[in-house]
Amino acid sequence: MRLDLSGVSVRLDGRPIVHEADLVVDDGEFVALVGPNGCGKSTLMRTIYRALRPSAGLITVDGDDVHRLSWRESARRTAVVAQETPAELDFTVGEVVLMGRTPYERAAAADEERCARALDRVGLGGGEERGYATLSGGEKQRALIARALVQETRLLLLDEPTSHLDIRHQLEILHLVRELGVATLAVLHDLNQAAAFCDRLYVMSAGRVLAGGPPEQVLTPELISQVYGVRAVRRTQLVFERLAL
Amino acid sequence: MTGDTLAPAARLASTTPSGRRRRRYILLVAALAVAVVASTWLAVSIGAVHVALPQAWAIVADHLAPGVVARTWTPVQEQIVWEYRLPRALLALLVGAGLSVVGAVLQALVRNPLADPFLLGISSGASCGAVLVLVLGYSTLGGLSLSGAAFAGSLLALGLVYVLAQRAGRITPSRLVLAGVALAYLFQSLYSFVLQQAQSGRAAQQVLFWLMGSLGGARWEMLPLPSAVLAAGLVYLLLQHRQLNALTAGEETAVSLGVNVHRLRLTLFVLTSLLVGVLVATSGAIAFVGLIVPHAARLLVGADHRRVLPVTALLGAAFLQLVDVAARTVNAPQELALSIVTALFGVPFFLWLLRRRSVDRAVTVG
Repeated sequence: MRLDLSGVSVRLDGRPIVHEADLVVDDGEFVALVGPNGCGKSTLMRTIYRALRPSAGLITVDGDDVHRLSWRESARRTAVVAQETPAELDFTVGEVVLMGRTPYERAAAADEERCARALDRVGLGGGEERGYATLSGGEKQRALIARALVQETRLLLLDEPTSHLDIRHQLEILHLVRELGVATLAVLHDLNQAAAFCDRLYVMSAGRVLAGGPPEQVLTPELISQVYGVRAVRRTQLVFERLAL
Repeated sequence: MTGDTLAPAARLASTTPSGRRRRRYILLVAALAVAVVASTWLAVSIGAVHVALPQAWAIVADHLAPGVVARTWTPVQEQIVWEYRLPRALLALLVGAGLSVVGAVLQALVRNPLADPFLLGISSGASCGAVLVLVLGYSTLGGLSLSGAAFAGSLLALGLVYVLAQRAGRITPSRLVLAGVALAYLFQSLYSFVLQQAQSGRAAQQVLFWLMGSLGGARWEMLPLPSAVLAAGLVYLLLQHRQLNALTAGEETAVSLGVNVHRLRLTLFVLTSLLVGVLVATSGAIAFVGLIVPHAARLLVGADHRRVLPVTALLGAAFLQLVDVAARTVNAPQELALSIVTALFGVPFFLWLLRRRSVDRAVTVG
């Protein structure tokens, strides 16, 4: 599995939002995408999962141009967990997770089994019949990760998966995704978290990918002050550590 | 950890709720099917000329398999049951099921719980066509029948909404709703003008009655087209139930789940418009059915379209059958327009629905 973006530009209503972005995610890697609000991170993510079309450049997954694949086929290769949660309709958790099988032929019994296993993995085992709307924010996000799991893709896109969550649930979700071992590209807000969880990260600013590489090389005080306009002080110790519960 | 993590042993027990839900669903569908048959039976026997329940049944059986049942009824009874009440009752089922299913689909299509079959301006187009025929006379419009003109009007509206709702080849829900609402006002002002100019008070009366919905004109030959469109539509929608669910969860979610959202939206738009056009052409504009029945169905079986669609169709069919029975009998020999009766049921239900938190939230979000 390899996600490869080369020279990707995206326009929204004629305005250039992303400019010639290059980015790579290799098999099993956890790659973070960081940058200030409005820098084009989410637009770039939406272009990778085909909610938008690029105006120039090429996005390939496993060597194939994503935007030329059938809709089903691209959904079999890439799963998405975004901030957007389903409207407050009366879906059960099981029904939400089963949506992950939409790109495949229906197989009722096998799908229920997959759904049960995925819910186990995200710590919601046996919760199929609970109302999705009754879940807490962290549980909803985990149910959506379970949905991505039953989609059985080798690439996972996370668009600010932890933005509504408190610090403990943020860490839980990130640990969970890391342990899945699926190639992941995640938009993250918190630079400390990004540095702690990713193998590599990319920094975007004003529609351009400025730098990419291991966090300790990329996140220099100079770059951060250039991109965010804040002064950063590097400390050696990771600030938050998940409590063993 | 948070959440109710269960040990593997408890997992077996946890499958029971889903099994219980499945059994409940099957029971519900069976009960609704019985309700559809019973309400239709009732509709066929009740009226100015009374026909006892067994007799009504026997008349229908005699037509389906001549000579099997002994004849115990008068020719008048037979004529009334076979030529008037049965086609009317069957049309009630079709219209009730059709409008309700359209409502359910539109609520998913535009992601708004307040969507109903008349949202997209199609029915106003149909009404406009019908008004022109009724007021100007059949000959002026080249011999078009009332339902023919209504259907032509709905197709015209469909085409206009489609053109207006498009932008760069894509249909977006907000544009669909805005174009539909705007066109509805345009068509309404158009037929109001025609009505105002109409010389004959009788024609105006007839139009007003038709505009509020009536199954009084039902004949056998009106049934095949709506039946065919509804059957084809239902089959297609049931095959697409997972795509519909994904669309309900949001456009981008649907895309990421492999749904060709733009093609799905276009198909749903054309399908629902055709259905509304065909149904409004036979029965006029019947309010509230398409709004409340899908909500009632979701209260019963949740949001999954695999269950919502069949329950919506059956519930809508039985509901409109009873509404029509009430419309014929409450103020006999005068008939009430169907929208009056559906509104009497619909408004209280709707207000109750508004008090539920989910609608509130979905409206602000959607």
